[in-house]
Order: sequence, then C-alpha cells, then structure tokens
Amino acid sequence: MQDYFLEVQRLKKYFAAGRPGFFNRAREHVHAVDGVDLQLKRGEVIAMVGESGCGKSTLALTLMGLEEPTEGRIVFEAKEITHASEHDRKLLRQRIQMVFQDPYESLNPTQTIEEIVAEPLDVHGLTHGKAEREARVVKALEDAGLKPASTYLPRFPHQLSGGQRQRVVIAGALVLEPHLLIADEPVSMLDVSIRAEILNLLADLRQTRQISIILITHDLGTCGYFADRIAVMYLGRIVEIGPTGEVLSNPQHPYTKALLSVVPVPNPRLRRQRLILQGETPNPIHLPSGCRFHPRCPIAVERCRAEDPAYVTVGQSHLAACWEAGKQA
Amino acid sequence: MEAASTKTTEAQRQLAARFLDFWRVFRRNRMGLVGLAMLAVIVIVAVFAEVLAPYDATAPVDATAADVYRPPSAAHWLGTDDAGQDVFSNFIFGARVSLIVGFFAAFISVFIGGVLGIAAGFYGGRVENFLMRFTDVMLVIPDLPLMVVIVALTKPSLLNIIFVIGLLGWTTTARIVRSQTLAVKSRKFVLRARAIGAGNGHIIRHHILPLVMPILVVNAVLVVSLAILNESTLSFLGLGDPTALSWGQMLNYAFGRGAMSTGAWWALVAPGFGIVWVVLGLTLFGHGLEQVLNPRLEAHHLMKPRPIVRHEATGKPLLHERRGRVPDEAPILVEVKNLSISYISDGKPPARAVENVSFTLREGELMGLVGESGCGKTTLMLGLLRLLPAAGQIVDGEVWFSGRELTALTETEMEDVRWKGISIIFQGAMNALNPVRTVGDQIAEAIVKHNPLMKGAALEARVSELLDLVGISPEHKNHFPHQYSGGMRQRAMIAMALACNPQVVIADEPTTALDVMIQAQVLELLDSLRKKLGLSIIFVTHDLGVVAEMCDSVLVMYGGVTAEYSDVDTVYNLAKHPYTQELLKAFPDLTHPEKRLASIPGYPPRLDDLPAGCRFAPRCPVAFERCRVEAPAIHQLGEKHFASCHLVEENSLTTK
Repeated sequence: MQDYFLEVQRLKKYFAAGRPGFFNRAREHVHAVDGVDLQLKRGEVIAMVGESGCGKSTLALTLMGLEEPTEGRIVFEAKEITHASEHDRKLLRQRIQMVFQDPYESLNPTQTIEEIVAEPLDVHGLTHGKAEREARVVKALEDAGLKPASTYLPRFPHQLSGGQRQRVVIAGALVLEPHLLIADEPVSMLDVSIRAEILNLLADLRQTRQISIILITHDLGTCGYFADRIAVMYLGRIVEIGPTGEVLSNPQHPYTKALLSVVPVPNPRLRRQRLILQGETPNPIHLPSGCRFHPRCPIAVERCRAEDPAYVTVGQSHLAACWEAGKQA
Repeated sequence: MEAASTKTTEAQRQLAARFLDFWRVFRRNRMGLVGLAMLAVIVIVAVFAEVLAPYDATAPVDATAADVYRPPSAAHWLGTDDAGQDVFSNFIFGARVSLIVGFFAAFISVFIGGVLGIAAGFYGGRVENFLMRFTDVMLVIPDLPLMVVIVALTKPSLLNIIFVIGLLGWTTTARIVRSQTLAVKSRKFVLRARAIGAGNGHIIRHHILPLVMPILVVNAVLVVSLAILNESTLSFLGLGDPTALSWGQMLNYAFGRGAMSTGAWWALVAPGFGIVWVVLGLTLFGHGLEQVLNPRLEAHHLMKPRPIVRHEATGKPLLHERRGRVPDEAPILVEVKNLSISYISDGKPPARAVENVSFTLREGELMGLVGESGCGKTTLMLGLLRLLPAAGQIVDGEVWFSGRELTALTETEMEDVRWKGISIIFQGAMNALNPVRTVGDQIAEAIVKHNPLMKGAALEARVSELLDLVGISPEHKNHFPHQYSGGMRQRAMIAMALACNPQVVIADEPTTALDVMIQAQVLELLDSLRKKLGLSIIFVTHDLGVVAEMCDSVLVMYGGVTAEYSDVDTVYNLAKHPYTQELLKAFPDLTHPEKRLASIPGYPPRLDDLPAGCRFAPRCPVAFERCRVEAPAIHQLGEKHFASCHLVEENSLTTK
C-alpha cells in the first residue's frame, strides 16, 4: 500500500439539528460530511467542487481540526490526527494552514499588515529577535506577490484592494511554511480579472515550495488550471473523483455533467445547451433514499431510488458513484 | 539600541497619526466639541482649585452669625453658606471631589463590566448563562436604595462611596460589551486566528479587545456622568463623607440648614449648576465620541439621496430644454448621451466616477455592463435613476427615456419613472429584504407604493402572479426571508423589481454571491422574462463569461470611461481595446485547461487620483508615449462599435 501524505477514511461530521423534543429524545442530524475517502500525495493539488451545502467547507474545517469529526480517520504525514491533543494540534497548525474565502472579513481591521502576517510567528513563538521576525514577514509577503513588502507593512487592510488583501491572507498562511494549504473558495469574492492572479500565485507556490493544496470551490471553471485531480461533492459525499483532464473531458456522474455545462464560456458563438438542474441541494437533515442525487437527476431510474450506488471505476483512478456511470460509449 | 529608539519613535508617530485622524473627524462634531470644552473647563477648575479659589474651603473659619448666608457681593461672588464659608470656593473644591468620585467609580464599573461582558460573550455556554443571569439580577435590584443601605451601614468615607457606586454600576456596560463581543467573535478573522493556532487569551487580546474598545470608551463616558449623579444623590441624602465637600454635600447642607427658608438661593444654585454642567458636558462629549468611534453609525451612502443635477462649468443647475422627442427609430428605449458624474466633497478635488459615457438600449435588448470593481458601473446606473449618494452629482450629459430627459425632471416626476419605468435589482439583494416581514407583504408594498388603488384580492392575486412569474410557488408568499434559500431570495427580489411592469430592469451583479448552478437558474429566468415580457435589461457584472452567454450588446467600462462598446460578437471576437482583450485572456477557459491564466497586473485607478492621459495606460501592455499624456477620444469603428484607444486611430492611419 502506498504511503500517502494525507489520507482520509470514511470521514463523517454530523451536527445536531435543533433541540431534542420533550417526548422525542432522538436528535436529528445535519449530515454535513457523510463518508469521505480521500488520498493526497505530497505536492499534489486536489480541487473539491460542489454547491453550497455539499459539505466541502465543513470538510476543510474538520481537516484543520477546527471541527471534531464524528466518525472516520485522518492520517497526516504518517500520523493519525483524527482526535489530536491540544498540544499536537498546535504543532499541526504549523504544517496545515488555511486561506479563507472572504478577504474583506478574514483580516482584523485594527491590525497592520505586519501584525497580521507576524501573528502566526508570535503565536508559535517561532522567531528570535525583531530582525528575524521582520525578515520572515517580508519574505512571506514577497512570496505572496506583494513587492516591495516594506511599503505594505505599516498599512491597514482597508487601504488595500480585494486582491491585495487575499495576498495578505495567503502570506499569513505561508509564513509558517506549511506542507498543506487548504484554500476555501480563495477567489469567489474577487473580480474575474484578479482571480487569475491569485490562482497563478497558488500554482507557483505549489511549484516552488512543493506545498500540497486542497482547493475548495463551487466553480469547475477555476479549478482546471492547476489541480491534478478533481473531486465533485454532493450532499456530504464525493460523487466523482479523477484526474482533472479526465473529469473535465469525460465526466461520468450526471451532477458533474450539469456543473460543467453551466460554467460560462466567454464566447458568444459557443452558446450551448445548458443542463440546468431544477431546485436546490436538498436539506442535509433528511437525505433522499438510495442515491442522494436521484431527486434532481435527469437520468434517474427505479434502482436509484432504492439503492445507494457504490463507486464504479470508469478510467485510470477515475471513480464515479452512479449506477449509470461507464455505461455509455 | 538605536534600532529600538527608532522603533519607539515610529510607534509614537503612528499613535500621533491615529490621534490626528480621530481629531480630524471629531472636530466636525460641534456638540462633541462643546462637551469637550465644558469638561476641560471643569477639570482645570478642579485641578487648580488652590490657585483659583479666593478662600481655602478646607480651612476652618471663625464665622460669626453675620457671615451666614450673605448674598453675592464683591468679597463673596456667590455669597456665603450656612457656616459663613465662601460658596464660590466651596463650588471649586466640590468639583474636585465630585470628579474624583465620578472617574474612579466609573473606572471600577467599566472594568468589571468589560471583563464580565467579554467573558460572557467570548466563552458562551454556561459561563455566559451564569454571568448574564447574574447581570440580570443586578439590573433589577434598585441601585439607589441598595447604595443607601450599604453606605449607611459602612463608614461614610470617600473610598467607600467610590467602591459602592463602582461595584453597582457595571450592568449596562456588561450587556453592551457582551453583544459587541458576540458580533466580533463571529467574524472570519477570529476563525483565521484559530486556524493559525492562537489560544483564547491571544484572540481576546488581539482580536476582540481592539474592536470592543471603541464602544467601551463611549460607554465609559456615560458611566462617569451616572457615577457623579449617584454620588450627588448619596451626599444629598446625608450619606457623603463629611470631610470631603462635594456638590451633593453642598446641596445637603444648604437644604438641611435653612437656605430655602432664608431665601439664600445662591447656596443651592451653585452646586446644582456644577452637576448639570458636568453631566451635560459628558453627554455631549460622549455623543461626539460615539459618532467617531462607533462603526455602526457610519452614514450609509444611500440614506439620503440628493439628486443634484448641475452643470460643471457654470455651476448652475442643468436645465435642458424640455421637449417631447420622437426617437429616430421607434424601439430605442433608453439613450444616454455623454453622461458624466462626479463625487464632490468639501476640500477634495472632485472624483470623476463616470465621464462621457453614451449608450442606447432598445426594446427587448439585454446589455451587459462589464468592468472591475470601482470602475463606475454602479455609479452610472444609480445616476440613470438619480439615486446617487449625497456627494454624487450629474455634471454633464443627457439621459433620454421614452421621450423624456431624466436629468431635467423634478424629483416627483422622477419618482414616477423609478420602478414604473426603470427598476433596479440591487447588488447583494440577499440582505435587501426586511427579515421581520413576509416576502409577499414586501412585494405587495412595492406594488401599492406605485398603485395605491390596488388592494384586497386584486393585490393578493398580483403578488401570486409575480411570484409565479419568477418560479416561486405562490404558497410561499407568507414565508419570511430566512425561510427562503439564497436563490429564492434573489428570485423574490426580481419579482419585486417587476411589480410595476417596468420597461427596463437594471440588474446590478444579481448573481455574484450565488453558486454556479443557482446563478445559471437566475440567468435563465432573466432571459425568459425578457422574452415573455419584452423587458429591456441592463446586466451589470464583472464576469465576461456570463455576458457572453446571454447579452446582445456589451459596454466595457474602465476607470469611469467607456473602453469599448459594441454587440456581443464583436466584443468577444474583434475586440479593439487592450483592456477588453486582457479581460478576455484572464477568463478561465474550460476548453483549454492547461493554459496559464493571463492576469492584468496592477489595479484600477482610484477615481480621486486619475492618471494623466488614458486611464488604462499604467496597466496597458501596449501603451506608448501618447497614452500617458493625452486621453483618447471615443472612436467609432463600425455601425455600432466604439473604442477609446489611440491605437485604433494609429492603425486606421497606417491602413489608409
């Protein structure tokens, strides 16, 4: 068996929904993450794609240790970290870092850029002396593309544009020199023209620093660029996973096909038939019977209502959880 | 050593800069300034009491009966009191005692309230439950009787009074601080700090406290005035420290020893005036502080629309000749001609947010308005509807809508155009619904505002019809916004925009915060509405992909000016302006996933600091000398293809 850098096995995270009734002791649960298996090699980039409510952000928080998993295992760098102690968790934070979605909200407005980027160093007591501290802050900022860094140090977040702020967030994660970076929708709040910069920056970091990245996004269009693999999530489970080229050119799960068809193509001569799913992701408290996608699936058959599909191998390390997968062509 | 000293001077300089910023805003608040001056006077008086007072109030006096309750005179400006002492001097020394009690008691209250409030808000759960129930109990116990009891039972010394007032006055502070802590705690940067590995102590010190502090400071000012009032009350009731003369004590002596019956009003007026002066000063000062420090009081820019239409050159109101107009071609619905909008605020050069923009919108046309954030898209649309924030002014140009020139209309006439003629779906519509009223109710309100005669069953039917039109089952009309999903709320906003059968709908980034699938649903809905109702739509977005999917024509804006304007096919396949070309390259293209994304280096210009020449020149890959000095004119390249770039001209010169 291959040793993976990160291995996630049957991971589940349920949240209690509401209070138990007076007569009814059984609690209802939100099945946010419902049995996710995932392996990641060192230096690999995987994109987790899905709509809001599919559990991708909860998965990120659980991997970060900011949420306690309900079931399953997480093994990171050959060590089980599923229920790490407070002390181990703090050490882990140096190796697993996160970039949050909203660069307007994730920076403290009263701190200067220097304070923000140096904060992780101070928290972990990693630097000795002001000179070393400043050198590491400057390096992180410049690695994140804010040059010359010295002009940014005394500024406040509100003096920067959205793209610059997201670079500060990335610098704050890089300063600890993590091995794994979890990027939760790093560009969805930014203008399209600036998205490219941030995505290119992440791609470069992976090249120069050998950082593994888990990119969480709702947009298949933004992940094709540097993800090695794509995992499509629906209602807490991965429904299709495979190499980026494979998934984009030969999607097998009907949900992946629908997501692909609605990615806007910037060419008016290529207006296509879009496969727009009706309704929204159902409530993750009462999961549909059988295949969890069948109520919105355009090709659902009787079997889908009753039986939950297992993963079918449809190509080189390309899996899809659909009874119909691999049947066509 | 030297490095350390430069560091401190740097820190001092920053502190000074922050203070100057604060002062710049604060000094505009007249009431706050008056309050500050009032406080300064009384503090100076208290500090220099020995110098200012004509008599030493602390020294014992040999008073004869003739000295008691003497009216104001040259020797005793405010007369004398029951012991023959100078009231003016007592007033000055009393200020010192009252202020000391006020400040120290308030310090204790604010400290306790702050600590408990932060602890309750931050830790939540049982800690919060216990602390807040304790606070509630303290809040319902009547303060004054309790104080009286405690002070009466202990020795009436100044220290005891400070402690009693301080220990009983923290409840409101605790509540205010707790709610602010709750608000700060839920913000993303606190989660980020956790992800970094920061512990609770670090988060409280670096993330919670700096954001709670402003509210705590404002609250502290009010607590001081309450403490002074409480001290005066206690002293008036005879529970003060007999060795420390405060204003309350002066009142007590005067009342108790016959000032009223002898008509010695001066002995009562002086201390009363002191109390009123300080409390009023503190209240005014606190009000001023709050205006500066409380982020929630920042004026919302849409609160007071003051649609001023003024010609820039003459400064006179723009008055276009008002005439009906037969358009050259019947189906043109909106025609914007050379529209310019500036933000004008005192002491700053005007920010030219929109300059010389022209476009036409035909019946049933879907126009995309594209550009990065801050390039003037929203300003242009608000200008069209004359809903600009107070500083925004239309300084030039015309807006024609079905034969009327909108910049020349009166406000009442304009109200008629809004919603019935042109309606708008605002950006971030998720938050535009009132959370405590049902969605149907809010749609009905939009209808009645413009059709006051519609009511009862007809109104209900119309609401159902509108909901049905946007794909929401009418049975959901009695639900509240929080029961709707993001996509449904956006649909409800569209229904509201359609309430009065407008001819034109402006959709300002209606899908930006939505998931791709919901975005596709909303776009499909807009497209079908256009076909079904013959609507014209202006679709404002920064996403070129969305525009390519559904628009007929595209206006690309950069830095407040038209970069390129044409039909959608030309813009995507024969773009002439470098900005359009770069924007297209920056768009992820699924058909070539291996290609590295091109990005436009730099950021859009600040509108109050525009570059000379072409506004795009600093970021333009093909800019040359002329671009940096001369702004390009808008060149017409085809029947309906415009671009503002010098290269267009150069190229046509070389081909000729």
